[in-house]
Amino acid sequence: MATNRLEQELKRGSAELLVLALLEEQERHGYEIGRLINERSDGTITFHVTSLYPTLYRLEDKGLIEGRWVEKAGQRRRRLYRLTPGGRGVLSKQRSVWGTFFAALDRVAGIRHA
Amino acid sequence: MHDWKHRVRQAFITSVIDDDIVEELAQHAEAAYEALRADDVPGPEALRQIDALIAGWHEDPQVLRRRPKRAPTVAPPSSSSRSAFGAMEDISYGLRLLRSQPGYALLTVLTIALGIGTTTTLFSVANSVLLRPLPWADSDALVRVTETRGGRQGRIPSTILNGTFLAWSEAPQTIESIGAWRDDSSMTLSGDGEATRVSVTLVTPGMFPTLKAAPVLGRNFAPDEGKPGQPALVILSFGFWQQRFGGRDDILGRTIVLDGSPATVVGVMPRDFQFPSREVRAWMPWVIPSVDGANGTKRGVIMRALARMRPGVTAAQVSAEGTARALAAPDAGPMAMALFGARDPIQVAAVDAKAAATAEVRPAILILLAAAGLLFVTAIANVANLQLARTAARHREFTIRAALGAGTSRLARQLLLENVIVGAIGGGAGLLLAATLHAMLPSILPQGFPRADAIAIDRIVLLFSVVLAGMTSVLCGVLPLMQVRRLDLARSLSEGGISSVGAGRGRVAATRAVIVLSQVAVTCVLLVGATLLVRSFIAYMQADRGYDPANVLTGTIPFPPAYPLERRAQALAAILERIKSRPGVTHAATSTALPLASAGGFVTFKFPSPFRPGAEIEVEAIRRVVTPDYFGALGIRVVAGRPLTAADGASSSPSVVVNRSFVRKYLDDVPVERAVSQSLGVNAVRSSRAPTATQIVGVVEDVKQSGPDEPAQPEMFVSYAQLPGANFGFQSFIVVRTADDPSAYVETLRTILRQEDPLLALDAVMTMDQRVAASLSRPRIYAVLLGGFALFALLIAGTGLFGVLSQSVTQRSREIAVRTALGATRGDVVRTVLAQAALAMIAGMAFGLASAFALSTTIAQFVYGVSTHDWVSFVAGPILLLVAGSLACIVPARRVANTDPLQVLREAR
Repeated sequence: MATNRLEQELKRGSAELLVLALLEEQERHGYEIGRLINERSDGTITFHVTSLYPTLYRLEDKGLIEGRWVEKAGQRRRRLYRLTPGGRGVLSKQRSVWGTFFAALDRVAGIRHA
Repeated sequence: MHDWKHRVRQAFITSVIDDDIVEELAQHAEAAYEALRADDVPGPEALRQIDALIAGWHEDPQVLRRRPKRAPTVAPPSSSSRSAFGAMEDISYGLRLLRSQPGYALLTVLTIALGIGTTTTLFSVANSVLLRPLPWADSDALVRVTETRGGRQGRIPSTILNGTFLAWSEAPQTIESIGAWRDDSSMTLSGDGEATRVSVTLVTPGMFPTLKAAPVLGRNFAPDEGKPGQPALVILSFGFWQQRFGGRDDILGRTIVLDGSPATVVGVMPRDFQFPSREVRAWMPWVIPSVDGANGTKRGVIMRALARMRPGVTAAQVSAEGTARALAAPDAGPMAMALFGARDPIQVAAVDAKAAATAEVRPAILILLAAAGLLFVTAIANVANLQLARTAARHREFTIRAALGAGTSRLARQLLLENVIVGAIGGGAGLLLAATLHAMLPSILPQGFPRADAIAIDRIVLLFSVVLAGMTSVLCGVLPLMQVRRLDLARSLSEGGISSVGAGRGRVAATRAVIVLSQVAVTCVLLVGATLLVRSFIAYMQADRGYDPANVLTGTIPFPPAYPLERRAQALAAILERIKSRPGVTHAATSTALPLASAGGFVTFKFPSPFRPGAEIEVEAIRRVVTPDYFGALGIRVVAGRPLTAADGASSSPSVVVNRSFVRKYLDDVPVERAVSQSLGVNAVRSSRAPTATQIVGVVEDVKQSGPDEPAQPEMFVSYAQLPGANFGFQSFIVVRTADDPSAYVETLRTILRQEDPLLALDAVMTMDQRVAASLSRPRIYAVLLGGFALFALLIAGTGLFGVLSQSVTQRSREIAVRTALGATRGDVVRTVLAQAALAMIAGMAFGLASAFALSTTIAQFVYGVSTHDWVSFVAGPILLLVAGSLACIVPARRVANTDPLQVLREAR
């Protein structure tokens, strides 16, 4: 139970970092973001729609990402997200915080992060 | 195709969820479904899985909510504070508001900066050139003295003859003193160090006292100094003394060498003294020769003169005394006739010195200043327009604050302060722009622009820009203020911020429409003016000047004054011979005259009319002494007879070529062919030989000496070989026509000159095309400036129109939706929305065209080759406006066309 809780907390804590990191490469839509997180973490981290989209909306509200509707002929219009300059700054800050945190964890608890 | 949106909506049937979110979730479901299908999950199974997925989403619909999109909120300052602290609060609130709307802030500041920047720059030019006093003590008392005959100025405008100047010498009543000078000439300073060309002005000994200027070192010229035979003296400018002579104290009494002759330094002028322009480095004394010369000859000397009025005297009184004195004085006779082209009695005019110095640029500066002013008004109208829109959008904020107890004055103060902030930032940016434009002015202003070096941003200009910024703030604050004053609490609140169909638009919309209308009108005026000037410039470029300026290289050969006359003729002949032998050179000639440089000499003589027996004709004509190839070199068309040839030499009887105007004026306008072979009598070309009748051998096309808009003058062309004495006293121009780029021959020409005589140097080297271009620098800069203003105005008016339409579309979205729902077609709706804009545009253009029609005569003096009511200009401007206007309409119109009426009505629920 405790492990489950920890997992949940970790997931919540890292969700923003993951989304920002994926949008750093290119603009993506919601489904793609969820799928990539799942794939790249080998299924360790999975976001439910009810936590993925609220995360996106929250980030959007903070001005870290920007969503826009893209219409293509013969297709349903799709909502795409991209990183804002503000988001880029926050991402690099979060990276360094997580980096320091992992290094500390490693030194204290002997956890090596790849 | 599965209707994913429907499936998602079904799942959320019991919750309130945004349509956008439903659509995004549908997009997610579709992507997940396609992923399953790609993994070969059969369709029905995949559908089942996705339905289960969607059902899972519904567990917690509350989190699936996007916060309403709106600008970041900025908390307004408390309503009750009335102290100065409240003002600080308002300022900080205004700043935060601006930061929260960066697009609006940028647009506003840029628009204001553009308006203030251009107007301030033009004002600084007007201030420095037209308003600021001349740089001499008590310059208000200085008048420029000029003479006219029968209302005609001399061929060199704003000048007087020696008779008129000397008439003042006995106890003048209205003036304290008078001084004269001759336009500066370039002299070679040799001696210590490298030889350099310096600009030297001849001044009468009374010139500096008239300016109330005295040397800081040494003395002024004494009354008789400068007479022929006296030792040459020179006064140096401060800068010249410092740069060339290191500011050494023992400069007085030293001898410097100017154009090969020694001159003794008797003084140094103060550091900030400049006369007549900053370029002048030294002054030499000049004593004006009397009109009556030896052996009963008459001498005419032309000069510029300034007089200092006695206190309490008016310029009109000076003119009257000057005229009376000049009429009583000996007249220069035929020379005056030659210089003024009229026999009427002398009239002397005293004109305020500053006005006289700037007369030729005054109209241009004032017109451009007016244009900049119009641009400013357009820009400010746009800002006011934006402000109105913004206030309309903040209606609810103001209403609520008013309901909470903020008085109208409190809200007014806040609005005003907000505008002061915008005005201040825009004004600052405008001043920066003005400073940048200032730095560019020297390269922009045409050559010879009077007082160009005096142009500066001084306190008056700063004050002007502050006033402009203040006006902007107030103007932009007042319109919204009037809106706030009309706050109707109950109605605004009860409407819940959503205007009912057609309501709440009336007055504001009307105000905004009027603003757009005036912007369009102003832009229209500027566009028509600019098109007129651009077309004039093109006409100037393409004008037939009577010669072909392409592929012609020109220059002068400044012979030292002591160069023997015979040696000159030999040198010129040898130089021409060598040039002509070069491949690529098709014609080469020398001459005493060159279009756009010097008209050459002027002659007056009488001859018996060949067509009217007994009648004697008195000729006043420009005489150009040329080598035979001059016509070929300049491309002057021979319309009858032949050009001069080598056969027209010293031993043959005098031959001349005349121009069409000569035939028109003095040969009874006979067909040019009949003019050929006619005799001009024995006085037309007087050489040292026994008098022989001069014969016309050819007629050429009129050559426009300075500009294509000047009237052609009668001209005669005489061969150098028949008039060798003409070499003396005139510049020697060299004209070379080449088969290709003439500038490639400059070095060749220099080398040939050096080889002929190391003392000879080529001066003022320019292609004829360059001379033409330089002569057009004023029409060009006027066209460019007015064109720039017009384009800016177009941009501003376009943005204004776009803003008005966009807002109108937003405000009327409900009306549009209702209309569409009731069966109006898209086209109907778009038409309705655009109708208002179209009305404002058309009315604005009508006003603009009418004003342009009335105003175009004010720029008549700058218009050439087209009528001031040229229809092309009056059509092209409005067409450009229509195009810009249509562009501004596209986006709002598309938005109307794409409006989904159901969605709009649902939002407004």
